Amino acid sequence: MGLLTMAELPGDIEISAVITVGVRHADVAALYRDYKAALEGLQRTYELIFVMDGRFPDVSVALEDLQRQNEPLTVVRLTRAFGESTALMAGFERARGRIIVTLPGYYQIESGEISKLVDALSAADLAVGRRWPRAGSRFEALRRASFHRALGWVTGLRFSDLGCGARAMKRRVIEEIFLYGDQHRFFAILAHRQGFRVAEVTVRQSPRDRFEGRYRLREYAHRMLDILTVLFLVRFTKKPLRFFGMIGLALAGTGLLLLLYLIIARLGFAQPLANRPALLLTSLLVVLGLQLFAIGLLGELIIFTHARDIKDYQVDRVIQFHSEAAQTTSTDAEQERIAAP
Amino acid sequence: MRNRTQFEETSRLLAHPQLSVIAPFFNEQDNIEPLYRSIIAAVEPLQVSFEIVFVDDGSRDATLARAVAIARTDPRVLVVKFRRNYGQTAAMAAGVAYANGSILVTMDGDLQNDPADIRKMLAKVAEGFDIVVGWRHDRKDKFLSRKLPSRVANWIIGKVTGVPIKDNGCSLKAYRAAVIKAIPLYSEMHRFIPAMASIAGPRIAEIKVRHHPRRFGTSKYGLSRIYKVMLDLLVIKTVTGFASRPLLWFTLLSLPALVFSLTAFAYAAFAVLVRGTDMPLPVAGAGLIFGSGAVMLMSSGAIGELVFKLGEVREPDFARLTTDCVTETTAQNGTAHNG
Repeated sequence: MGLLTMAELPGDIEISAVITVGVRHADVAALYRDYKAALEGLQRTYELIFVMDGRFPDVSVALEDLQRQNEPLTVVRLTRAFGESTALMAGFERARGRIIVTLPGYYQIESGEISKLVDALSAADLAVGRRWPRAGSRFEALRRASFHRALGWVTGLRFSDLGCGARAMKRRVIEEIFLYGDQHRFFAILAHRQGFRVAEVTVRQSPRDRFEGRYRLREYAHRMLDILTVLFLVRFTKKPLRFFGMIGLALAGTGLLLLLYLIIARLGFAQPLANRPALLLTSLLVVLGLQLFAIGLLGELIIFTHARDIKDYQVDRVIQFHSEAAQTTSTDAEQERIAAP
Repeated sequence: MRNRTQFEETSRLLAHPQLSVIAPFFNEQDNIEPLYRSIIAAVEPLQVSFEIVFVDDGSRDATLARAVAIARTDPRVLVVKFRRNYGQTAAMAAGVAYANGSILVTMDGDLQNDPADIRKMLAKVAEGFDIVVGWRHDRKDKFLSRKLPSRVANWIIGKVTGVPIKDNGCSLKAYRAAVIKAIPLYSEMHRFIPAMASIAGPRIAEIKVRHHPRRFGTSKYGLSRIYKVMLDLLVIKTVTGFASRPLLWFTLLSLPALVFSLTAFAYAAFAVLVRGTDMPLPVAGAGLIFGSGAVMLMSSGAIGELVFKLGEVREPDFARLTTDCVTETTAQNGTAHNG
C-alpha cells in the first residue's frame, strides 16, 4: 500500500502524529491524553495514529476503550514485532497531514515541547528533538557522547540525540524516505543524505523518561553495529571499490611482498620454511585481499547494472517560465515542471 | 486557427529543441550572466532551436537568484535546482536528464570554455560523430599543479580504457542525446564520460577549443585525488569491458591463485611420493589457502553473472544506439536523403 496521494486526502488535516508502541511503553490512555492536550494547544487540525509494533493486550484494550469513547484516533496493529522502522512506515502510510510528527510510545519529552519541533519546520524539512538538560549519570552522558562522536566522525554530521523518537517533518520527507531494519535511529542522517534540511531542536526531557533496564553488553554490540551500518551506508553504497578495493589491495600487496621475501630467503639463503607458519600467513593475506577486492568489484557491478535506479542527486525544483503562448497549450509533460512563484 | 497551430508548433519546438546547452553552477554568481550572454551570442546566429539548462548544484551565493532572473526573461532557459551540493558529475547527469534537445552540449559554468566553439562541435556532430570532445590545446592554467598531472592522467586513461582522448577534463563536449542519455553517469565519472560511453561504441571526435583563464570566482578542483581517479579508472575498465562476462573476468583474476595452489600441491606430492620425506605442511597449507581463494573468486564470478542478468544493462540496447544498418533499399534511398 502506497502513501495517500493528495486527491485521497479528505478534508485538510494539518498535523498527523504517529505514535509507535513497542515493548517499552507507558500507560497509553494517559499518554494519549497527554499528547492530545499538546496537539490541541497547537491550534491546528490534527490526527493521532497509534501503531502497535507487536501484540500487547493491555495496549489493545486501552486503545479500544478510547475509541469506544469516540476519541479521534487511528490504531494500526502489526501482527508481530517488525521493529520501529516498519512501524513508522506503517504509520506514515495512513498519515494524512501536511506535517507529520513522530512520538515514542512512552514518555521521552515534555509533550508541551512538540510545538517547538513543529515551529522549527519553518526553516527545515525535518526537526529532531534533543533532550536537554538530560537526566542520568555522568557515565551515561559519556557513553552517549562517544557514540554520537563516532557517528559524527563517520558521517561528518553533528547530532547529539539520535535516540530521541520525537520528530516533526514535512510531508515530502515521508514521501521519499524508506526505513527498514534499525534505520529509524538514523532518520536524521538518512534525511540529510536525501538532501533535506535537518534541524536539531532542544526539548525538555520528560521526568518519567528513565530507562529501567541495565545497559547490557548486547546494547553496546548493537550500537557498534549501528556505527558500522552507517559507515557502510555512507562510504560504501556509492563507491564500493574505493572502500573494499583499498583494503583489499593493501592486504594483497603486503602479502605479496612478504611472499617474495620468503621465496628469496628460501631459495637464496636456504632459510627453512617448514617449521614456520609465515608462508600460511602470507597466503592468507593475499587471498583475503583478493576476495575483498572481488567483493568491491561485485558491488560496482551491482551499481553499474542498476545505475538507472540510483540517482546521485535530489532535485529541489525545476524552474522554467513559459511565454504566454506556450502556457495556454501546456502539455502534461510541461505541467510536471513547477514554475517558480 | 492558424495562430493556434503556430502556438503548438512553437511549444513543440520549445519542448524538443535541436540543441540543449547544459552548464552546471556551483557558487558562480559573477559568471552566470556573462555566460548566458555569450551562449546566446554564440548560438542564436546558428539558426537552430535551442534551450539552455542551468543546473544549480546547491550554491550558497546569489547564483540561483540570478539564474531565475535570467529564466524569467527567457523561456528557453531551464533552471534545475539541487537540494544541496552533489558534485559535478551529478550536476551533469541532471542536466542531461532534464535536457530535451536532440544534441546536448555540456560546458563549465565558470567561463573557461568558450560558447563560440559550439558551432564547430555541432558541425562535427552533423558529420556523424556521436560524441565530440573539446581539447583545451592552449590551456590557461598553472603548468605544474594543473597541466602536468592532467597530461599524465589523460595518457594513462587513454592507455587503460583504449579511448585515446587528449583532454578528458574538458567539460565542453557535444553528444547525440540518445547516446548520452543511455550511459550510466554516477559517482565521479564526469571525467570519463567518453570512456564510459564506449559501452555503446560511439564515434568520438576530438576538436581543439579555446580556453580562457578564470575571470571570477575560485577554482574548486585541485590535485589530490590521484588514487581515486585510478580506482575509478579500474571500475570503468571493468564495467565497460567485462560487465557482461563477470564469470570469465573473475576466473582470470583467480588464475594466478590457482596456478600457485597447484604448484604447491605438486611440490608437496613430489616431496612425499618421490623423495619420501614428511609432508611439507606450510607448503601444502598455502596450496589449500590459494586453492580455496580461487574457488571463492570463481563463485563471486557466478554471483556476478546473476547480478548482470538481473540488472538493466542490455548490450543490444547500447548497440542499437550507434549501429548503422545498411540494407540494399535504404542504401539506395538513403543517398538521396542524407546527402
